[in-house]
Amino acid sequence: MTASMSQCLLQMVRTDYTMSDYQSEIAPRWCSGCGDNAILAAMQRLCRDEQLPPEKTVCVSGIGCASRLPHYMNAYGFHGIHGRALPVAQGIKIRRPDLHVFVTTGDGDCCSIGAAHWLHAVRYNMNMTLLLHDNEVYGLTKKQASPTSPKGFKSNTTPFGATLNALNPLTVTLGITNVSFVAQAVDWIPDLLYDILSKAHHHKGFSFIRILQRCPNFMEHRFDDHVRDPSSTRILTHANGLRLKPELSRVYKNQQTHDPLDLGEALSLARLEDEIPVGILYNDPSVPCYDELRAGERPSTPALVEKVLDEEFDKVGIWPDPADAAEVGG
Amino acid sequence: MSHARITSEPPPPVSESASSAPSAEPAPLRSALFARYARLENLRYDYPLVLIDGGEAARTLIRPLTRIVDDVLKAAAPPDASGEAIRSQVLKLEDKIRGQVARGQEGRLTELWRDCAAELVRESGEERFGPIDANLDKARHSLRLDGRVIGCDEATPVKLLTHAWQVKHEAKARRFRKKVEGLILRLNDILKSDHMKSDEAHGAGALASAMASNDDGTIDFQALSEVLHRVRPEDRLPADRVRRIRGALAVLQGQPFFGPGRASQAFPNRAAPYGYVFDSCSEALDAHRDRLPAVLDFTMALTVAELEVENKYRPELHDPVFERFDESDLTADQLALLPSALICLRDGVSETAEIARAYEALASGLPITVVIQTDDILGTTAPEPAPNSFGAGTARLAAMAMGLNNAYVFQASSANLYRMHEALLHGVHYEGPALFSVYSGATPTVPGVPAYILAAAATESRAFPSYSYNPAAGPDLATRFDLSHNPQQTADWPEHRIDFEDREGQRDVETLRFTFADFAICDSRYARFTHPFAREAWGVGMIPVPEWLALTDDSDRIQGPYVLGVDDRNRLMRVVVDAKITEAARRCNDAWCRLQELAGINNSHALRQLAEERRKREAAARDEALPAPAVATAATSVAAPQPDVTTTTGAASTGAEDPAPADDGAPWIETPRCTTCNECVQINKELFAYNENRQAYIADPDAGTYRQLVEAAESCQVSIIHPGKPRHPDEPNLADLLERAAPFN
Repeated sequence: MTASMSQCLLQMVRTDYTMSDYQSEIAPRWCSGCGDNAILAAMQRLCRDEQLPPEKTVCVSGIGCASRLPHYMNAYGFHGIHGRALPVAQGIKIRRPDLHVFVTTGDGDCCSIGAAHWLHAVRYNMNMTLLLHDNEVYGLTKKQASPTSPKGFKSNTTPFGATLNALNPLTVTLGITNVSFVAQAVDWIPDLLYDILSKAHHHKGFSFIRILQRCPNFMEHRFDDHVRDPSSTRILTHANGLRLKPELSRVYKNQQTHDPLDLGEALSLARLEDEIPVGILYNDPSVPCYDELRAGERPSTPALVEKVLDEEFDKVGIWPDPADAAEVGG
Repeated sequence: MSHARITSEPPPPVSESASSAPSAEPAPLRSALFARYARLENLRYDYPLVLIDGGEAARTLIRPLTRIVDDVLKAAAPPDASGEAIRSQVLKLEDKIRGQVARGQEGRLTELWRDCAAELVRESGEERFGPIDANLDKARHSLRLDGRVIGCDEATPVKLLTHAWQVKHEAKARRFRKKVEGLILRLNDILKSDHMKSDEAHGAGALASAMASNDDGTIDFQALSEVLHRVRPEDRLPADRVRRIRGALAVLQGQPFFGPGRASQAFPNRAAPYGYVFDSCSEALDAHRDRLPAVLDFTMALTVAELEVENKYRPELHDPVFERFDESDLTADQLALLPSALICLRDGVSETAEIARAYEALASGLPITVVIQTDDILGTTAPEPAPNSFGAGTARLAAMAMGLNNAYVFQASSANLYRMHEALLHGVHYEGPALFSVYSGATPTVPGVPAYILAAAATESRAFPSYSYNPAAGPDLATRFDLSHNPQQTADWPEHRIDFEDREGQRDVETLRFTFADFAICDSRYARFTHPFAREAWGVGMIPVPEWLALTDDSDRIQGPYVLGVDDRNRLMRVVVDAKITEAARRCNDAWCRLQELAGINNSHALRQLAEERRKREAAARDEALPAPAVATAATSVAAPQPDVTTTTGAASTGAEDPAPADDGAPWIETPRCTTCNECVQINKELFAYNENRQAYIADPDAGTYRQLVEAAESCQVSIIHPGKPRHPDEPNLADLLERAAPFN
């Protein structure tokens, strides 16, 4: 197959974006020790390695600590309203399918106020990547229980401890119709975080990554045991999924080969209580994408939209003066 | 012609009675084989043909009315006795439509259906919405296809190929609009977002006009404008980039290649679209030259647009490329985006000089489709071809075009177009030059024979063989060249049986091989080279033309070569033909054998090599046999019974009443369920045969191609043919065939 002329000409133009090209002028205002920083770094690393042009990249967010990420990326950003990051991102994607869309959201933004959008975004399976920064607490408003806070967690809204069991975002997502990509990462193993993000970016469809993220101020020591004891993290590897580097493999000996197409096994892994599964739980590239299904035969140029509307209105139009009708119709 | 099925009437027997010796004015003669197709409008055959609307997604361009009706009946009529009424009514309706089309009243299928159904109801004397009306209406709802219905006449080839080209052109237009309008939209987005940063967009006037109403003056647009001016971003697009984008936009929006489609965009600079259907090659080539600047402008604008939307245009790199851009830089995929031209030429009507230009057009490699319609294959009887004609032997035009090697070549008579519809489809979608040579069958000098019959006879007699040559199919002749749509392609002349009554009224059978001479005797211009003899005058010195052609030159017997013909009263004659016709038949056979060789049949190189190998093997066997004769005889005596065993078991299994599904991937037929519909044996009667109950079985799985097996399975009315696995892994398009075979295995 020969390349077309424009492909050849495009290849004459080399880009060389570095990490700093994706860093905005605003320095991150997250607390020191916050896991969000690792997630931002992984995002920027991905953009650099894929050489995503900043003007072709969009980060969309709702409200929360996690949702501040678009401010720190030198790309297009949309800091939306609480829980509504996904509808905004879907609007962007359907109008501009050429853009790379990332959605950053937190456990409150996604799993509480935005839960309905989360559900339907999975079902619509539009080609974008969602990063769920899950620190299991509302941090921006200084410690209230979120849907993923563990049972018994004492916070400003639950002084006697959270009453309910925590919501499991993984099992929920795996149960939604048309789910096509579900992974779990942890902010304290940045190499794996990057690998998973990269797999998600290359997946065609809606990629859902839950990232367990440390909050040093309002959820202190929550993941300390896991950080200290690598054996409590179960790494999921597969030829079609993650492949561990030898240096990581030496530390994280608790590994399991998991076929990302095995939904049943993915569900039982998602339900693990004592161990944290890290890797790609589910990946089915064959699920149809709404943005592709709805891509019209002709692009909806403003002129086309206007003309089609005119044609429709003309069907019921009444022309009192035949001369006018001839003029308009002709 | 065996594909024309007789349904409504038994074949009228050819009656033979005493006749006098040939009179001075010979009665119009026809080949004896034509007698059974006396009334074509009563037969269910490939015509009327429906030119299917917008058949890009559905892989069908054309479909015979009979097949569409069969599909309708499958869907609408229950297979048991309760479906009998609707079946007979719909078949009557089909008959009526066929009659209308034969009278020249062509139209869209749904319209013809409606009119004929109304007529049927009227004739039956029933009320509207009565049982007949209800049944026909129910059947109409199962119609999945619509399109223009055409008969078989002199206009058929051009109608059909224009339709095929139109379908392709519309598909191209859709692809083109999707691509170009997508770019227009994105270029406009860039300009619009830049405009939002301009002073003008932030001016009080622009802000006021963006609001619905501000009658009470609550909004101070001047103040708002000043606020916005203070935060206005500074990063405007460079002026040369804006200029470039505007330039590309103007060219894309004003492109003259395709019309606007459903919704027109009222751009002032949009030119009226070019026409791409021509009736002469000179016009087409001139148009190509005249339009070249527009093609170049458009291609450059398209490339600039593609670079700009990616923000990858670098003036220092790309400006020089576009400065020296000319037609040699046009690539095949750039040309494929634009329309292809259609040139319709007609033998005897278009100027002779146009053929030479047709080859020039084909050799240019441009996407040009040339249709050459022939109405007369034999030509005048004079040695020189008529001045305003491509000359006798137009059948050779396509063979010559194959020599160009880059052109798609398709040849068929009108009667064979549907059987070749797959090749037709490939040819239409071939991105490059293509030649379609079609014989219409509407020869004015053959009175009284329908165009369809004559067209079929031209294929049958090898005077106008059907074949296709697809340069895109593969690297070798075996995949590119396809001769398989000719009847009995391995034989010199196809063999037929005719039934007739002898003088005592007893049924008699004669076998005839349909030769070029059988075709030629129908032409009134050639009547003077024929000498019909009635039964009484048949003598020992007469031999059939095929045998006569096989005689060697040194044969000293003087014999009259004859073909079987009938006169206007269906009396069987032996028609002795002159050297004029036999010589033409010899030339025709020679051309046919050459095509066979191209298709790998009786390939002279292969045969020579085989003979050489056999000679070597025999020599080696002889050499081995000499030192130890005793061992050799023992070996042959052991080996000899082996083939006998296999042949007997083979015969037993094929002759068996109900062969079990074979595990070895061999094709098989559920013989007891066969309804003797002839579909399979018409495809290949060596591959499929009837047993003593006239139910089909696989007679010889190696006698045909896998394609034929799959096509037979598809056309089998009761779906009892199981094609199994292909026996030859090199057969072209196997993947496609396997997919089609899957439902039947």
